[in-house]
Amino acid sequence: MRNVEYRDATLGFALFRILNSAFRIKTTMYNLRRFILKHHFVILFILLEVISILLLARSQNFHRNSLVSHTNDVVGTIYKWGSDVGGYFSLGKTNEQLAEENALLRKQLSVIMDTSATIYSTMESDTVYEYIPARVVNNSINQANNLIIINKGKLDGIERNMGVVSSEGVVGVVTDVSRHYASVMSLLHSKSFVGVRFKNNQQIASLRWNTNNYRYGMVEDIPTHVVLQKGDTVLTSSYSFIFPEDIMVGTVEDPLAATTDALNKAKIQFATDFAKLRHVYVIKNLYKAELDSLQTSFQ
Amino acid sequence: MNRNALHIIRFIALVLVQVLLVNHIRLGGYVHPYIYLIFIMLLPVTMPKWQVLLLGFGLGLSIDLFTGTLGLHAGATTLMAFCRPTILRIVSGHQKLENVQEPDLGQLGGVWFLRYAVCMVLVHHFALFFLESFSFHLILQVLLRILLSAPVSIFLIMMILYIFNPEKKREAK
Repeated sequence: MRNVEYRDATLGFALFRILNSAFRIKTTMYNLRRFILKHHFVILFILLEVISILLLARSQNFHRNSLVSHTNDVVGTIYKWGSDVGGYFSLGKTNEQLAEENALLRKQLSVIMDTSATIYSTMESDTVYEYIPARVVNNSINQANNLIIINKGKLDGIERNMGVVSSEGVVGVVTDVSRHYASVMSLLHSKSFVGVRFKNNQQIASLRWNTNNYRYGMVEDIPTHVVLQKGDTVLTSSYSFIFPEDIMVGTVEDPLAATTDALNKAKIQFATDFAKLRHVYVIKNLYKAELDSLQTSFQ
Repeated sequence: MNRNALHIIRFIALVLVQVLLVNHIRLGGYVHPYIYLIFIMLLPVTMPKWQVLLLGFGLGLSIDLFTGTLGLHAGATTLMAFCRPTILRIVSGHQKLENVQEPDLGQLGGVWFLRYAVCMVLVHHFALFFLESFSFHLILQVLLRILLSAPVSIFLIMMILYIFNPEKKREAK
């Protein structure tokens, strides 16, 4: 008898506790809902800011596969409209530039034609790089990280990590490709890095931007024994698979002696005038797949 | 309905003008004016605050798509939208805004709008240039950018509003 009563009591108590906790969950849910409704403005604000900062942190990553890409065809097309209109104002200058380049190429061609046929054939078999002409549809030079959009994309054979040059010198590297457009990380980017060589003494060094001025870059990692003079030519090195060897990069503007480091720096003036960039060439390395497989087999 | 269409057109027009024209203004490398903020500034006072917030985020994100800086303008513009109710309250003081549909030049006057624009632009530029400095380290340069860009932005915004204002004046007559 006592036992049954006791059992009833415990059962009742358990039931009470279950109901109570259920009620408590319900009230907490209710409170939570009230809290969200009351502070929806602040909560939404924090949520949106967190999304923004996450997106921003991700876009800092150079090799990204973003959901919403900067290089989509809609953005490219709108930029093309703008550049189509703007292009008319600089037609004269562009023509002049192309004519100059033509003259230079003609001169080089005549040299090749003059030399013997054997050299010509070796030259031909040595052609590793293919040049794809493209037009700049958008370009910025005054941001902390500058990107260029060109009017050639996947369908034209453009791929990531291809080098981009102008008739004057190095421009940047392709970072993102859509069907008809590609975005190029210009030398004016905090992540930009190009292997370079001084023409006079064959010294290898690396080029970064770091100056916040679209005319100048900074060559780093120069051993202190290397003597540089203003006006020395800087070319691309042969160690990169992105750019062919000996493409013009710029000229030394200010050789800076390091105070503490064992390595010097030098401020250089870019050969390319990024403010007037209109026509560029994308460089396709025809043996890239081969080089890549060789590299992966090493690792 | 008509109002909504006007806002949509204003949104598209401002984004296009910003990315195709204003982004190409180069004055010494430090001056980056932004005029697309006009869209958020001119939203109706009575609009729910969370809607303004979402629109701010969307507007910033569309600019980001063009400049390749996902999250940068979105973050700054969201903050501006968040501060808008407070700024509206501070700027108008005892002046009541209940009977004002949209905060614009015609109804509230040039001086009121200038104060409003200064506050909004400063909030936006501070957020924008400091967010950008995540990847760029010199704080003095960031401050210089803000101090040089904000006046130009405010000037352009006021100019655009004065140019597109005549329609309001005719209504008033």
